[in-house]
Amino acid sequence: MMGEISVMMLTWEFPPRIIGGISPHVYNLSRSLAKNGTKVYVVTCDFPGAPAHEVVDGVEVFRIDSYKNPSPDFATWVYLMNVNMQKEAAAIVNSLDRKIDIIHAHDWLVANAGIGLKHVFRKPLIATIHSTEIGRRNGIHFDYERMIHETEAWLTYEAWKVICCSNYMVSHVQWAFGLPPDKLVMIPNGVATEPYAKTDSEDLRSFRSKFAMPEEKIILFVGRLVYEKGVQVLVNAIPKVLEKTNAKFVIVGNGYMKEQLTGIIKGLGLGHKVVFTGFIDDETLRRLQKCADVSVVPSLFEPFGIVALEAMAAKSPVVVSDSGGLSEIVEHDVTGVKVYVNHPDSLAWGITRVLLDSGYANWIRSNAYARVQEKYNWNRIAQQTKSIYQSVLGEYSKSFWA
Amino acid sequence: MKAMLVVIFSWEYPPRIVGQLASYVKDLAVHLVKNDVKTYVVTYHDFLTGQYDEEGGVRTYRVTNPVRTHIGVLTWVLTLNQNVERVTANIYYDAVKRLDVIDVHDWHFIPAAVTLKKGLNIPFVYSVESLEEHRSHGANSPFNMAIKSIEWLGMFEAAKLVVKSDWMRDEAYRLYKVPLEKVKVISPEVAKSTKSVLEVYGSTVGGTLSK
Repeated sequence: MMGEISVMMLTWEFPPRIIGGISPHVYNLSRSLAKNGTKVYVVTCDFPGAPAHEVVDGVEVFRIDSYKNPSPDFATWVYLMNVNMQKEAAAIVNSLDRKIDIIHAHDWLVANAGIGLKHVFRKPLIATIHSTEIGRRNGIHFDYERMIHETEAWLTYEAWKVICCSNYMVSHVQWAFGLPPDKLVMIPNGVATEPYAKTDSEDLRSFRSKFAMPEEKIILFVGRLVYEKGVQVLVNAIPKVLEKTNAKFVIVGNGYMKEQLTGIIKGLGLGHKVVFTGFIDDETLRRLQKCADVSVVPSLFEPFGIVALEAMAAKSPVVVSDSGGLSEIVEHDVTGVKVYVNHPDSLAWGITRVLLDSGYANWIRSNAYARVQEKYNWNRIAQQTKSIYQSVLGEYSKSFWA
Repeated sequence: MKAMLVVIFSWEYPPRIVGQLASYVKDLAVHLVKNDVKTYVVTYHDFLTGQYDEEGGVRTYRVTNPVRTHIGVLTWVLTLNQNVERVTANIYYDAVKRLDVIDVHDWHFIPAAVTLKKGLNIPFVYSVESLEEHRSHGANSPFNMAIKSIEWLGMFEAAKLVVKSDWMRDEAYRLYKVPLEKVKVISPEVAKSTKSVLEVYGSTVGGTLSK
């Protein structure tokens, strides 16, 4: 039907600029698409020390001058940044003789630029919705939030297809914006297993000893220390777990709940059983995940749950709350343990079940790793994405814009 | 000679009158039509009017804001720009990919004008009615700064700047260091004859008047 498809990805973050999950997602998706014969141009915000134009793993990356004056608030900054992003992206498309087939925007953060480019060049727009304001805030309470919510709605309205990373997010997004079902597509998020395999042969004993005594099991939590991630549920489960087994709780990440949590732990007299590492680099995190005897993801709201997949790739058994995207990633008693949401006793039960039965732990560990390789590998995800591009272009070719 | 194709951007246009700009732009558009210029106006629609009309030969498109809830005029303006782009792109494609010049009045729709210039090679003229420095009496909060940065972008990217007095020309130079040869002073009275306005349009890259 056509030669090489070319796509312009719009994202507010791309390595080395890493703020949340969109950056690694777009990085892995773009380079996997490039490997599968798609020409990818990424347009993203600049970052100190990163070049304005470079080729990364076959992907052309353009870093635009994001708005750097003080801004009244975050949302206004986003709209101002979009003025620059749209301007630069329009110039890039024009310099390519306007030969871009698809514009692919990630979240409302680049909605304006994506929608503007769609109409200026009359090309189909595809949106990936990673998260929603109504989900993040558990409802819409202020005009500021409603404005973001309506911007998200506008992006999904203008998009030819809306991609979500889990079935949970598909139904959530369909409900939040009242979309027709056939506009939504589920393509899972992925995890790259190679970086974990790299350290397979490494002796991690001395690394491990920085965090725990040899006789202590390591129970790992990775995430922002905020209410929706459920770290408080884990903290409340600590005494129940320690009744059954000797363990060290390693908590990675920062957030507004940190002080409150350390207070609770001190009050319980368990300060020696918990380590707060703060934010750590990827390499250290991967080693820690490999050392973890169990990885816990007790989220109350979770669009996808990439941290569970990463643990599975690191061959660490996972215990997750039965919520959002986590419910789909983990098959109970096969690739992990599911426990009740916001339920410390249930969580303690799940953790001890894994820690007290090494045969069971090994069983879910190897099943989980196989599942990651088969279902969540980036090559497969790139192929699924490419087939969406192809079907959209097929429909587009019959439209009066073509 | 083909008729010249001009699109005027203004955030106010009768019957929506906020300040002086609305009637000035209407006068200009009517006079352009009388001088055989195919004239489009793209403006904001606040439900008192339809989305399109052709009163007196001026083809007027009125766009709504796709985001209804806002925290200020800045976010309101910045989300309205995409619909200005959409309508203008439609004019461009319907005219078999041609538009000679965009005349953008004040800062509101400068982002759209800049994107259309970068993407579709349509030059624009920035007509200055007033500047943020004077409107805000020198205030320099992040809000004022953002509007000033948009005014700066407009002055930098515009093919020509049209101002209404020598004083404004000097202010544009003082505040934004615009090269004086880029600035044309046309008083509202003179603008009615449209001769000098058409000269400015014709001097831009896409202008066809001289051909």
